[in-house]
Amino acid sequence: MGSCPGVTASCGEHSGRVVEQLTHPFLLFLGLAFGGVGLCLALPRKRVNPQVIGAVLGGLGIGIVLLGMGLKNPEQLPNYNFYIFGIIAAGSALRVITHPRPVYAALYFILTILASCGLYLILSAEFMAFALVIVYAGAILITYLFVIMLATQAPSEDQLESLAEYDVESRSPVVAAVTGFVLLAALTTMFFKGSTTLEAPPAIQPDALLAQMPNKVTPEKVMRSLEREGAVVEGESFVALDPEAGTVTVLGLEGERTVAIPADLGVKNVEAVGFDLLNEHPGSIEIAGVVLLMAMLGATVLSRKQVEFEEEAKLRQSRALSAEGGVFGDKEVRP
Amino acid sequence: MTFGMANLVHTASSTLAQAGFPEPMSTPALAHYLFLSAVLFVIGMVGFVTRRNLIIMFLCTELMFQAAGLALIAFSRFHLHHTGQTFVIFVLTIAAAEAALALALVVLLFRKKDSLSGEEWREMQG
Repeated sequence: MGSCPGVTASCGEHSGRVVEQLTHPFLLFLGLAFGGVGLCLALPRKRVNPQVIGAVLGGLGIGIVLLGMGLKNPEQLPNYNFYIFGIIAAGSALRVITHPRPVYAALYFILTILASCGLYLILSAEFMAFALVIVYAGAILITYLFVIMLATQAPSEDQLESLAEYDVESRSPVVAAVTGFVLLAALTTMFFKGSTTLEAPPAIQPDALLAQMPNKVTPEKVMRSLEREGAVVEGESFVALDPEAGTVTVLGLEGERTVAIPADLGVKNVEAVGFDLLNEHPGSIEIAGVVLLMAMLGATVLSRKQVEFEEEAKLRQSRALSAEGGVFGDKEVRP
Repeated sequence: MTFGMANLVHTASSTLAQAGFPEPMSTPALAHYLFLSAVLFVIGMVGFVTRRNLIIMFLCTELMFQAAGLALIAFSRFHLHHTGQTFVIFVLTIAAAEAALALALVVLLFRKKDSLSGEEWREMQG
């Protein structure tokens, strides 16, 4: 690795094994068993529907696992906001798959999105957090809501509270919950006790990125930000910028001296992600554009109504219209 | 101060964030995020298998995309590398394309049988 700023205890295993993150594997399996039973109970059923008990059991299971992880390394917990957003995300995800009404399921999915945006913010991915709100909660979910409202039968007058049969009863909940939680147990055991070595790419220092962005650090911009910070006085001029050391060399009356790179010149998250996107994956952007175009064409072709284009059909239609009295239905004009 | 709003945002983000970006995230914290991501993925998978409404089934695939995105972002933070975040952009692209096609299919299928049940189409066995 080499670049390991502020060497801490965690940094030694930064690129190493992800091992032993839980007090005891039994605790993990106990928690997951609780979670599986809870999820199984919470899935919609026709007769008895113990959804609240299921949700409580599921939450208890996840809580046991999180508690076990927290007790193992009490000094290296994630930010406390993780627990708030994590509980909201998992709880509303549970509600997405257990709520019998599709509209409510979609609304709970928006809640899951917003909670994971909070998690992204904790992980210092600001751009992706806001992109997620705009793209997912703003665009994709609205499309879902439109389709739900287009493609659901209107309830008849006498039974406003009717639900479709396929929404009320879920398909083989026991088998699905068991399979799902066996998969979860395998996944979590893999990364709690696994022995794979994580090959980390070299960590990116925000100041090091400045060296590859010459347009961002022109002498005028650097001096302007330095003056705003009060690090230089009138009459000093720019000599060189050293992104590796994080310093700027300026020439003053008493000769050259170095000052720290001003904070507002540092590469922010949006710039860094954009730079990585265009610098490392230029071909992927083109492919993503083609995929989106094809999806748009495909959606248009799939969802259009079948229109009869034959002249015969048009004639028949116009004859039918004139027999009824024209488009506007005024029968007096007809000869 | 003229930069009052910027200061406010900066304070909010520094209380939210673990530390400044150059500080590495510890492995136990990464394990927390991976566990949450796995839970979201399994909830989405179980929902896809059990629910019979076509729209909810596709919502569950979006839930699985979310879980993958969370794992990518957590690893991006862990390795202090931005490629993980870049990949979430592509995940979003694929999710948007998938939603457009899936919903067009759902509308088409609803017009044919007047029902959203996935089991109406059980004769389609390829």
